[in-house]
Amino acid sequence: MSARKLIAALGACALLATGCGGSAPMGAAGAAAGRDEGPVKIGALHPVSGSNAVDGQQMRRGAQMAVDAINAAGGIKSLGGRKVELVTGDTQGKADIGQSEAQRLISAGAVGLVGTYQSAVSTNVAVVAERNRVPFVADVTASDAIYAHGYKYVFRVQPGSKVIATAAAHYLQQVSQQAGKPVKKVAFLHEQSDFGSGAAEAFTQAARQLGIEVGPNISYDAASVSDLTAQVTQVKASGADVLAVAGYYRDSLLAAKAIASVKPDLNAVWGVSNGAFDQPKFVTDAGDLGALYFSTNYHYDATNPQTAALREQYQRTYGDPMRTGAVLSYDAVQVIAQAVEKAASTDPKLVRDAIAAAQVAPLTVGAGPIQFAPNGDNRNAMAVLMQIQDGQVKQVYPPEKAESRPEYQVTWRP
Amino acid sequence: MSETAQRAALAPEVSPPQKKDRGFLGRAGVVGGVLVVAIVVALLQSGSGLVVWQSVVTGLLTGGLYGLIAMGLTLIFGVLDIVNFAHGALLAVAMFISFGMVQATGMHPYLTLVIAIPALFLIGAAVHRGLLSGTGGSSLENQLLITLGLSLLLENGLLMFFGAEPKTIALPGDFQFPLLGAVVAGSRLYAFLGAILLGALLYWLLRRTRLGTAIRAVAAHGPGAELVGINVRRIHTLTFAIGTACAGAAAALAGPLVTVTPTLGEQFNITAFVVVVLGGMGNVVGALVGGLLIGLVEQLTTIYLGGQSSLLGVFVVFILVLFLRPQGLFGRKAA
Repeated sequence: MSARKLIAALGACALLATGCGGSAPMGAAGAAAGRDEGPVKIGALHPVSGSNAVDGQQMRRGAQMAVDAINAAGGIKSLGGRKVELVTGDTQGKADIGQSEAQRLISAGAVGLVGTYQSAVSTNVAVVAERNRVPFVADVTASDAIYAHGYKYVFRVQPGSKVIATAAAHYLQQVSQQAGKPVKKVAFLHEQSDFGSGAAEAFTQAARQLGIEVGPNISYDAASVSDLTAQVTQVKASGADVLAVAGYYRDSLLAAKAIASVKPDLNAVWGVSNGAFDQPKFVTDAGDLGALYFSTNYHYDATNPQTAALREQYQRTYGDPMRTGAVLSYDAVQVIAQAVEKAASTDPKLVRDAIAAAQVAPLTVGAGPIQFAPNGDNRNAMAVLMQIQDGQVKQVYPPEKAESRPEYQVTWRP
Repeated sequence: MSETAQRAALAPEVSPPQKKDRGFLGRAGVVGGVLVVAIVVALLQSGSGLVVWQSVVTGLLTGGLYGLIAMGLTLIFGVLDIVNFAHGALLAVAMFISFGMVQATGMHPYLTLVIAIPALFLIGAAVHRGLLSGTGGSSLENQLLITLGLSLLLENGLLMFFGAEPKTIALPGDFQFPLLGAVVAGSRLYAFLGAILLGALLYWLLRRTRLGTAIRAVAAHGPGAELVGINVRRIHTLTFAIGTACAGAAAALAGPLVTVTPTLGEQFNITAFVVVVLGGMGNVVGALVGGLLIGLVEQLTTIYLGGQSSLLGVFVVFILVLFLRPQGLFGRKAA
C-alpha cells in the first residue's frame, strides 16, 4: 500500500506540474459586431496572475497609458475623434488560456491585439489572430519561430532572439577590442529551453563568424536548479575569458552568486537576452556580486526624453519603476492606434495593411521608426548593451545610444 | 499490508536490531561502490578533477539540506501514514517568515530560526488538528487532496501577499573558502552543518526522550500505544508539528542560498519525496543519508548530461530503488 500511495502522490505531482489543461473553445465567430460604434477596442493579453504577474501587470499598465495618451490627444481623428478603449485578458502565462482569451477579445470587437510576454502563449495567440484575420502586435515575445510561418497578421516590436544574440557577439568583439583585450574564448551558460539554447546557438553562430571561439556550452534546468557552482567551476577550468549567460531572473541570480564565489578568470560576464542583468532589482539583489556585468537586450530608450517622461509618469502613478516590457506594450498599442488612424477604419484587414506600412517612432531602443519586414518583424528593432555601473543599469553601447562608457573588466580581478 | 510494510520500515527505530544486519553493510558497500564508479566516470567525462570535486562538494552540501527537509516528511509519513503534499509549500511559508523578519527588523537570517521553527511547529499543529486529524481512517486520496489543496492555498496566499517578484535574503558577512581547490560558500556550509546538527537533535529526540519513545510506539502500533496510556491523537499532532518544524528549520538555513518565491516549495517537494523513498519511508537517519546521496546524484548528472535536467538522474535513482529495493536503502524487507 505504501508503494501505491507513493505512486498516487507522484501522479498528483505530475498533475500539478502540467496544470489542468484543456483545449480552448474554438470556432467563435471571427468578425465581431460593434466595431463601428463606441470606442475603438484594442485587446491586451498579459499574464497578470501567476508567477509572471508582476511583469504582466506592468505591461497592461503600459498599454493602458498609451490608450490614455491617445484619448487625451483627441482620440482617433480620422474617425471623428472616436475614443480608444483597452480591453484586457489575463493569460495566466498559459498558452491555452492565452488562446481562449484572444478569441474572447476578438469576439468582443478588438481591432488588434498586443501581448503576451511568453513566447509559448504568443505562439497560440498568433494562430488565433491569423485565423480570425485580426492583427496581433507582439510586445514581448523572443521566439523567432512564430515569424517563420509566413503569417500575415502577426507583427513584433521587440528584437527577436537571433537579433539580440547576434548583436551580443558583435558588441562583445567591438567592446573588448576597444578595451585592448580582444575576446578569444567565450563560455556559454544557459537555461535549457528554447529561449536559452536558442540564444546560445545564435550567439555561437555569430561569434564563430567573427573568429571567436565558443565553448564549453553549459545548460541547466531553470525550474529545478538550486546551485550553479559546479557549472561555473567548469567555466573556470575551461580557461574562457568571457562568460555569456542566457537565463531567467532566479537562475541568473544563482549564476551571479556562483561566479562571485568561484571567481573564474574572466574579463567580462556577458548577458545575452538575460532576464536579470538589466533589471534594477538585480542591482539590489546581487549587490556587489553583479557589479560591471554586461547585458545585451531590448531596452526602453534611456536616451529618449519622451521615454524618460513616460517612465516618470509611471513611477508617479504606480510607485514602481516602469520596466522595458511595459514600454514595449506602449509601443505596440501605438502601432495599432496609428494604423487605425491611417486606415480611417476599424476593419481589421485594413488596419493590418496600415500596420504593414507603419512608421512609428518607438520609445524603446531602435535603429529608426518601427517598420515591419514581410515576416512581421520590426526591421529597426535593436538590442543595446547595458552595464551595471555604480549600482545602476546604464546603456553603454553602441555610442549613439550610450549614457556612459563600457568598462570592460570584472571587478574582482587585480 | 500497508501497516506491516510501514512498521517494518520504522522497525530499526522502534527496536534496535538484535543481531548485526549484514545485509546493511553489504548495501552500504554497493552504494559506495556505485558512487565511486559514478565519480570515476564523471572524471573521465569532464576531464577535470576540479570540476568533479566541486560537484561532489556542492552535492554533499546541498544534500544535507535535502536531508533535513526530507526528515520532516519521512517522520510524518512514518508515524501518521500521511504523504504530506504541503511540505514544500510550508517550507515556502517559513522562507517568507524568515524573509519578512530580516526585512522588517534587519536581524541576522540565522536568528530567524528561533522564529521559523516554533512558527512552523504551531502551523503544523494547527494544520493537523484543523484539517487532517479527522481523516484518520479515511482513504488516502482524501488526505492527498487535502494536503494538495493546502499547498495550492498556501502558494497562492503567498503570491497574493508577497507578489511573484523573487526575493533574496542576504547573509551579512558571507564568505568563501577553498577546500582542496573547490570553493565552499560559508552560507552553504552553515546550512549543511545546521542540517546535520538538527538531524542529530531529531534523532536524539526520537531515541532518548519520553516523547520520542511515545512517537515510536505510536508508529509501531497505535492501538497498543493507546492501551499503555499514550494519547495517540496528541502524538500525531505533535509529530506532524515536529515534521513541519523541520521544514521551518530548513527554510531559515537555506534562505541565503536560494531565491525566495512563492512556488519555491515545488522545487524541493519532488526531491524530498525521492529522498524519503531512497532512505526508507519513515526512517529519519535514512532521510539524511538519502539527502546526501540525492545531492550527489543531482550534481553528477549535470556532468554526465551536460547540464540537462538534473532531476533526470534523480528519477533514474528513484525508479531503480523502487524496482530493486522498494523499502529503501535503510528499510527492512517486509516479512
